[in-house]
Amino acid sequence: MRKSIYTYAMLLAMPVIALMTSCEARQLTPEDVFVDETKLAEVLAAENPEGYKIYNLNSLKSAPFMTENGNFMSDSSLYRTRSAYGSLQLFSIDTLPVNGPGIYIRARVATDDYGGNFYKSLVLQQTQDWENGGAALAEPQGLRISVDMGSVSGLYHQGQEIIIRCNGLAIGRYANQPQLCVPSYNNNIFASSAEQKTGWAPGRIPAARFRRATRMLGNPDVSKLVWEEYNLSELKTAYLDKFNDVEGARKLDATLIKLTGVHFTGEYDNYGAVANCNHYSGADTATVGNPELDKNACTFGPTTENVGYPQSRYVSDGTNRALVSTSEYARYAYYYLPAAKYIGSVTGVLSYYMDNGKYDPDGGEWSITPCSMDEILPEAQQHSDPAQRWVPKEWKKGVAQPEE
Amino acid sequence: MFVLAIGLSAFAQTSLKGRVVANNTDQPVVGAKVTLANQNISTTTNVAGEFTLLYLEAMDEEVLVESDGFIAALELVSLKENEVNQMDDILLEPDIVAQAQDEVLLNLTEEEMTDDEGRSQAQASSSSASTDVFNSNTSFAWSTARYRNRGYQSYAENYYIEGLHFNSMERGQFNYSAMGGLNDASRYKEVLNPIEATNFTFGGVGRSTNYLMGASRYAQGWKVGAAGTNRNYKARVNATYSSGIMPSNWAVTAQLAYRFSPYIDNKGIIGEGIKYYSLGYFLTAERIWDNARLKLITFGAPTERGQNAAVTQEVYDLTGSIYYNPYWGYQAGRVRNSRIVKSFDPTVIAAYEYKIDEKQWFKVAAGYHYSWYSNSAINYFQAPDPRPDYYRNLPSAMWDGQIANPNYETSAKQLFDDAGAHYPWGLFVGRDMNGKEYGAGFVGHDGNIVGPSVDEAEYNDLVDLWKSRDNKTTQIDWEALYAANYANNVTDPNGSARYILERRHNDIQEANASFNYVNTQFDHLKMTLGVEGKFSQGIHYKTIDDLLGANQWIDIDAFADRDIKELASNSGFTQEDIANVRKNEIAPDYNEVVNNGRRFGYDYRINMGNLKAWFQNEWNFNEVDLYYALQLNYSSMQRTTNMLNGRAWYLTKVADEKTGADAWKYYGSAAYAQIKAWEAAGALKAGTTYAGQAHHFLDPAFKLGATYKINGRNRLKLNALAETRAPFARDAYISQRVHDRVVENIYTHDNAKNLKDFYASSEKAVSADLTYEFNYPIVRGRVTGFFTQSWNGSELNGYYDDEARTFVNQAMTGIDKRYMGIEAAAAVKLGTYFTLTGVASVGDYRYTSDAVAVSSAENGMPMTQNLVTKELVFETTDKVLLKGLRVSTGPQVNASLKLSFFHPKMWFADVTVSYHDWNYLSVAPSRRMQGLYTGVRMDGTAVNGWFGDTYANAIQTTDGMMVSATVDTDPTSPTYGQATYENAVLDEGGVPVLKYPYNIMTMQESLAATNPLNRFIIDASVGKLIYLPNRQSVSINLSISNLTNNTHFKTGGYQQARLPRAVRQGQPDYQNSVITANAWKYPSKYYYAWGINFFLTVTYKF
Repeated sequence: MRKSIYTYAMLLAMPVIALMTSCEARQLTPEDVFVDETKLAEVLAAENPEGYKIYNLNSLKSAPFMTENGNFMSDSSLYRTRSAYGSLQLFSIDTLPVNGPGIYIRARVATDDYGGNFYKSLVLQQTQDWENGGAALAEPQGLRISVDMGSVSGLYHQGQEIIIRCNGLAIGRYANQPQLCVPSYNNNIFASSAEQKTGWAPGRIPAARFRRATRMLGNPDVSKLVWEEYNLSELKTAYLDKFNDVEGARKLDATLIKLTGVHFTGEYDNYGAVANCNHYSGADTATVGNPELDKNACTFGPTTENVGYPQSRYVSDGTNRALVSTSEYARYAYYYLPAAKYIGSVTGVLSYYMDNGKYDPDGGEWSITPCSMDEILPEAQQHSDPAQRWVPKEWKKGVAQPEE
Repeated sequence: MFVLAIGLSAFAQTSLKGRVVANNTDQPVVGAKVTLANQNISTTTNVAGEFTLLYLEAMDEEVLVESDGFIAALELVSLKENEVNQMDDILLEPDIVAQAQDEVLLNLTEEEMTDDEGRSQAQASSSSASTDVFNSNTSFAWSTARYRNRGYQSYAENYYIEGLHFNSMERGQFNYSAMGGLNDASRYKEVLNPIEATNFTFGGVGRSTNYLMGASRYAQGWKVGAAGTNRNYKARVNATYSSGIMPSNWAVTAQLAYRFSPYIDNKGIIGEGIKYYSLGYFLTAERIWDNARLKLITFGAPTERGQNAAVTQEVYDLTGSIYYNPYWGYQAGRVRNSRIVKSFDPTVIAAYEYKIDEKQWFKVAAGYHYSWYSNSAINYFQAPDPRPDYYRNLPSAMWDGQIANPNYETSAKQLFDDAGAHYPWGLFVGRDMNGKEYGAGFVGHDGNIVGPSVDEAEYNDLVDLWKSRDNKTTQIDWEALYAANYANNVTDPNGSARYILERRHNDIQEANASFNYVNTQFDHLKMTLGVEGKFSQGIHYKTIDDLLGANQWIDIDAFADRDIKELASNSGFTQEDIANVRKNEIAPDYNEVVNNGRRFGYDYRINMGNLKAWFQNEWNFNEVDLYYALQLNYSSMQRTTNMLNGRAWYLTKVADEKTGADAWKYYGSAAYAQIKAWEAAGALKAGTTYAGQAHHFLDPAFKLGATYKINGRNRLKLNALAETRAPFARDAYISQRVHDRVVENIYTHDNAKNLKDFYASSEKAVSADLTYEFNYPIVRGRVTGFFTQSWNGSELNGYYDDEARTFVNQAMTGIDKRYMGIEAAAAVKLGTYFTLTGVASVGDYRYTSDAVAVSSAENGMPMTQNLVTKELVFETTDKVLLKGLRVSTGPQVNASLKLSFFHPKMWFADVTVSYHDWNYLSVAPSRRMQGLYTGVRMDGTAVNGWFGDTYANAIQTTDGMMVSATVDTDPTSPTYGQATYENAVLDEGGVPVLKYPYNIMTMQESLAATNPLNRFIIDASVGKLIYLPNRQSVSINLSISNLTNNTHFKTGGYQQARLPRAVRQGQPDYQNSVITANAWKYPSKYYYAWGINFFLTVTYKF
């Protein structure tokens, strides 16, 4: 009997031990999840029996990939792309071939969406000439990507180099801003000026398709991102004058700059004109200056009543000026603008936005979109002299805007 | 045993003695029911398998012997007057089919499917009792369809083990996994039909089951078995040893059972992506004296198993399989499931029975039970939702924002206006989930008509990824989760992991005791007195299972962090003011860095106490039996927490901003006064335990019944019950993970000034049934009509609300339900070998009134504002239009026909054809709020976006007239909260009918398959018992469920609570929401019955 008990116990125990210890997945290592530089060519060759090519971002922004009127539905009179402004086609879509040789871009993620300014989008920066062997580029290139993925930076960190297979996606312009996208029909009847906004336009790439198309190359490295440093007069010389050079401007859109020696003027852009923003009195019933209700309040990004355009506030060096853009959904949107006495730099993505109403051929104003408030006058925020230190203050209902 | 004892004193009467033994083994059958059919007298066998029946009439009698696990036997006997009539041994044959079915059933009830929102598929009623034709033929056959006895929720069925109550006090259900795989532990049980006279508890509106685990019930010897199946586990081995009653008067039985399946790496089959390991043990010992017995029992089943989830019809269609499981993905080439349940319920029980004298005896039992139950899930911080079936990842998400105003009903008009110009909005997309076409467009690869407002290539690309079951698209992309963490380690080495696999623990610790006393010293009267006590503690916390390559997790709430700006500005605070709101523990010394197995997130307990006392008098006369019983039930609950959550702290801030008597009522209890005082004194310390307010309830119940014995073969039974029931803890606390605030009617109860207030929180029920039973040699069965009405039920739901744009808890009270129907069963013997059994249950289970729901944001954000005074409103109250809807507890029409075959050479076979209908989807209360139809809630606040507004305009009018609705918002008015609709077309419940496709969002959907043939399920089984020399035997049984592989049988599901909404640009908050016509944005999720599946067992006894 003793022997039989032992036998049965062993019979029961053996599958327990055997099965519970096998078949479990091992932990993944960084080598498992990031593509190694040395193996990249091999991986891409295996993926593209018909060959492949890595293109520079600016090549993707040019013909034959991006054309003036776009190839998508351009022959259809029924289903239009979104309206043009005058003779200028502000919206276009060029689909990229599904089949044939692989079309790749290789660049580094430059943005972080935690602050709320880059919702469901990535801005890429390319500093090496991958199209021609990989030498350093004279001028870094930038490109926007719209992805239908909330908290996209959680997967695609700032500083992460990625390589994207663009076949089957599209390159288009949204308010003249080039972006990697898919065609999307804007049918939002609840939009203000809905009729103007209806039509085909660049839309967000479905998350699943973007993840399929993208590989991560090595560990992220923010230090490899390059912010071109300018003061406003240099910027005017180097960039602002290019505003009317449509093709040149498109190439400059989405590049990274650090604008030095500027202060906020307390003004906003009013369809190309400059206007003073509204101060909040603190009265309980006050609507003027209340960023929840007044789109011209003296905060970075007061309400747009959910229209969703970025709010623009002027910075100046005393002579020239540029705009700093903030989404009303940004975490710092309801912080008051710093007083003019605080001087420092603003770091961000150079933006070039030309929607119908906003288009101002003579304005010559670009805007910079920072990732977070840390990139706004950090010198003033960290100033050793408390009298010159800017301490950001958030709007609070019932409390008047502090005088500084 | 006791019936035998009563009879020992009088042998001068006509009596019958006998012994029941198992064939071949010659082992006594303990607890078998022996009935004389003509005189309708019954008893049970003692530990030696013996029975005695006294005071009989001399006549020809049929002796019916029934016992769990055996085929019923019928013997004829001629009773001689004034003699002790001694029968030969009655041999019972084991019913190996029933035994195998019990085992399958036990497995099924354990495998609850739980989805992301914690919903579980309804359990099937699992109690079976071979002595009732209806019960024994429904519990297995109808389990596939998730039939529930009389349509009651699972908490209405009470489960006992040796007289100790084992339903959870927190959630009401019985946990089958405690006995996982231990088919011998759960073999013997007594099952009481609803509201009958009982002997171990007072009972309730549902059935009561008492598992009997005394070792003396088990036949002496070894039993080893092996089983193979294609269900969630693939194989099972087990061994049982029973000593029988030894010379020392002890009996010991022990069982070990191991069930297992490695990860299933096949897509589209039962159990895809699931693993299963469970080792069950059962040990019972019993000491028998002349007038007493002691039972010592312990069992448990450490189990680790993967889970699967309900998904939308779109996902089932795209993947082409009802077995698609979104919870798993590949990691380093191997399957890994993100939802792994680990459970272990070690239980110890001691029970003692003592016979004081021939006419009185008692039974006392005590038990202790610790339940480790946890499941894992992916949590994420500042990273994309990792669920593959997240709605944005599906092709239908491309339709979002593409759906035109349905007021323009023809596609021609949608494309062009009257002048032939292009209309400002494009064509609507598609076809609904039921296949109804709507608009023109191209046919996508998935068969849906799409566009032209969606790009064909783009749509089909995504469809192709789904149809090809692309691993990165349709399963969890573990590589991406690791990559996110490894990248984060580089960019922010001290930052929070982007993804972790966390383990959510819901442990229970409980101790219970019971005492039963029976007295029969008065003629015709049996008095039973019972006392039951139970202390239970629900223990809830989180730990980290796997950091997925990250350095650490920072313990703050991802959603509070994300919403902090909106939360601050909506409430008039700055982000700095409410910096604590993100924290899961606000004490300054709390270490938010979690990188080991310690508790984080939440760590609280719900302490629950219960004391019941009941008595029952049963009067037995020749023609009539009567009984009545009364119970008083005291219960209490109290939450204590070891972590002070920032959202709870924030609510104290909001309360401070409020004035008036209501502020305290809404935002805290005694615990929070303490928090505020300690915070003010700077004395908050991590690890401190805070006790919330205790809540006490007292619930009476009364029942009575009568049996009229028309003759020995026919009887009528009438039973009735009235009771109140305190709410379960899960429905009492508005957000128990965050704070200890209770629903408003418990606040009313706690501050009761009259009896009505005292019972404000209790559900009240009356129930009655009438049964006709018949018992002939050829045919036996019963017909029962039942009626139950309950009032003032409560239910808590949580969901993301797109109107308030935050997570909302909705406490619903005043739920009234009516259950009525007929149960019928008849078993007919067809010759020597065949029995034909017909069973049917036709019910009508409905909500009989509208309910009232109070909604509040979990993070304390205002729900809306008064559009005139601009005052913020933190709680909204509205009517939920439930009246007339069906209760979704499984099919309400069920019928089956079973043909059983039994050959004396021990061949068994049966075929069962079952039909199920009237099965309805659970309705989301958030989609049936009165304010959605009228624009104004019961409390007078305006709804931000409703079905009748200019943009949706979905309420169906008569003759194109404008709909208008008024709601009486005067709380003093007798018609407070009632709405009057003008010009609307109303449905049966008085609810305005919505235009297609809005009706899909609100109407209760039938789950019955479109093709009536798919409402049938066919099961079959075949078995053979081979007797070997020396009392050995081998039994083989093959049970096949759903023989025709019907994969169109939906068993349940639910509407998602979210409504599709769009923001109307250019409008201020609280006036900017529009319900869109995109009924496909948050469609219902469904559970399907498995297709063909089998269970093969081989058992060797020696």
